[in-house]
Amino acid sequence: MKHSEVAEVVQASRSAVTIFFIDDTEILPGQFLMVWAPGVGEIPISLSHLGKMKGITVKPYGKTSSSLCGLEEGDLLYYRGPYGRPFTLDSGRRLIIGGGTGLASLYSVINGESTVISSARSSDELLFRGKFKCRNNIEVTDDGSAGIRGFPVDALKTIDPDLYSVAYVCGPEMMMYSVYNYLRNFNLNLQFSMERMMKCGIGICDSCSMGGYQLCRDGPTFFKDEIPELVEFGKSRTTESGRRYSMK
Amino acid sequence: MPDISVRIADIKFQNPFLLASGILDENGYTIRRILNEGAGGAVTKSIGAEERTGYIPPVVVPLDDGLLNAVGLPNPGIDGFANEMKISLEAGKPVIGSVFASNADEFIKLCRKMENYGAHAVELNLSCPHVKGFGSEVGSDPDLVEEIVNSLKSEIKIPVFAKLSPNVTDIIRIAEAAGKCDAFVLINTVRGMAIDIAARKPVLSNRVGGLSGHAVKPVGIRAVWDVFENFDKPIFGVGGIENVQDAVEYIMAGAGALQIGTAVYSHGRGIFSKISTELASYMEKEGFNSIEEMRGLAHR
Ligand SMILES: Cc1cc2nc3c(=O)[nH]c(=O)nc-3n(C[C@H](O)[C@H](O)[C@H](O)COP(=O)(O)O)c2cc1C
Ligand code: FES
Repeated sequence: MKHSEVAEVVQASRSAVTIFFIDDTEILPGQFLMVWAPGVGEIPISLSHLGKMKGITVKPYGKTSSSLCGLEEGDLLYYRGPYGRPFTLDSGRRLIIGGGTGLASLYSVINGESTVISSARSSDELLFRGKFKCRNNIEVTDDGSAGIRGFPVDALKTIDPDLYSVAYVCGPEMMMYSVYNYLRNFNLNLQFSMERMMKCGIGICDSCSMGGYQLCRDGPTFFKDEIPELVEFGKSRTTESGRRYSMK
Repeated sequence: MPDISVRIADIKFQNPFLLASGILDENGYTIRRILNEGAGGAVTKSIGAEERTGYIPPVVVPLDDGLLNAVGLPNPGIDGFANEMKISLEAGKPVIGSVFASNADEFIKLCRKMENYGAHAVELNLSCPHVKGFGSEVGSDPDLVEEIVNSLKSEIKIPVFAKLSPNVTDIIRIAEAAGKCDAFVLINTVRGMAIDIAARKPVLSNRVGGLSGHAVKPVGIRAVWDVFENFDKPIFGVGGIENVQDAVEYIMAGAGALQIGTAVYSHGRGIFSKISTELASYMEKEGFNSIEEMRGLAHR
């Protein structure tokens, strides 16, 4: 297991924090780490900040993420990786669509000409508010406390997707499923970062698989023409035990 | 072209390389894909009577020459696995249902269900090293093993394979107890542990796990060798196989077919088709026409 000293912890929304640490290995946008809270647990987290100073953005959700959110400057961060297939960076205008902490894995892909559609349950849960490299940001909240009330698809209806060469998408699965079903009819390229439970991160346990592909290894990023092969996407998933349930 | 197909307990495998139990075989779509991509057959994740979530991660520790794991036998329970079996069998290749239980009655119930689901054989996990009350705790008790295997053989029509643990003093004694099975599967993982010295804590949440991968190959070779010397029964060799030399080594020790687990992670799912092609060229070059011709060669 690698470890690095936490250099800084910065609030990224009301409850999410970005934990910065120095690690000069090359990590690419879309890749993730398996982050360990000793004695508590290990979870996959994608990098929100790349470069010499790396950052992961975490929201307290279960035991492990809550424990990580309690880290302070000078504490040690334990992890292995990076793992996963990175995003391919297309030139041209980028449409960035992030739901909840899903936006963290897209943050490093945002450039000056991008448009960011950021969504969350409410305004105080919107990630990285006012901290985007680009000027165009459409906010969407479930409760209407900021921006458009509704879901990212409602924001998409206010723009012309074909003004963009590619959309990068990450968020809760049903949100991504609706975005996919809307955007697949347009010409722009799509790259989705899929989300499933990951126990091993290295392609051995089968907990993250979709349609026979391992998200931790073949993904988590997938292109437009690969998504139809992920036959379980938006339809069914398996629990920690491997029990399948329908998502509809 | 040499023939790389094998027949074990009357089941025909297009090539001798099966997916080992517990590696990418919990989700039916994954099993189906691995079979379609070139595995000769697949053994499912070990399934029990009740749903189990398994251990909290970390469940794996990647090492230079292998892997330490304690996943804790997560499984949906036998009833929850019916649909995954159905999807797996769509590939039209042999699927072997791995099961674990703590006594003969429970094993019978599980194996009957696997039989009804269409499994071509069952594999008894008598060897998982890191779950209390199951696996090697059952598999190191010769009387219990004998009772389980004998009663299954009278209750179940499909072949019964016994997967044994290397974590016993005398593997021959256990193999003897399982003597009525249709084939032996050797070996499961070797008990081990890892500590992170910066955190000053064991890495696996279960602390103890099982070592697999290239590092355990000599342990597997030795188990196959010993069992081949003492029994006239088919053997699946498993433990650290990642290239054609490893495969041939197991075959020469006495294995009639092979299973691959950890190398699916270190080499990707493509390993099955790659190693099959390599085996065919190796046999062609060395003048072997069938796997049977090579089997146990090192004993002569
Ligand atoms: C992550 C993991 C999970 C495993 N789960 C099971 C299991 O459920 N049942 C079983 O009989 N063996 C299980 N095994 C053991 C393997 O089937 C195999 O016997 C062992 O890993 C040695 O082969 P290898 O070196 O090719 O991996 C597991 C191994 C690994 C690495
Ligand atoms: S997390 Fe284990 S296979 Fe992907």
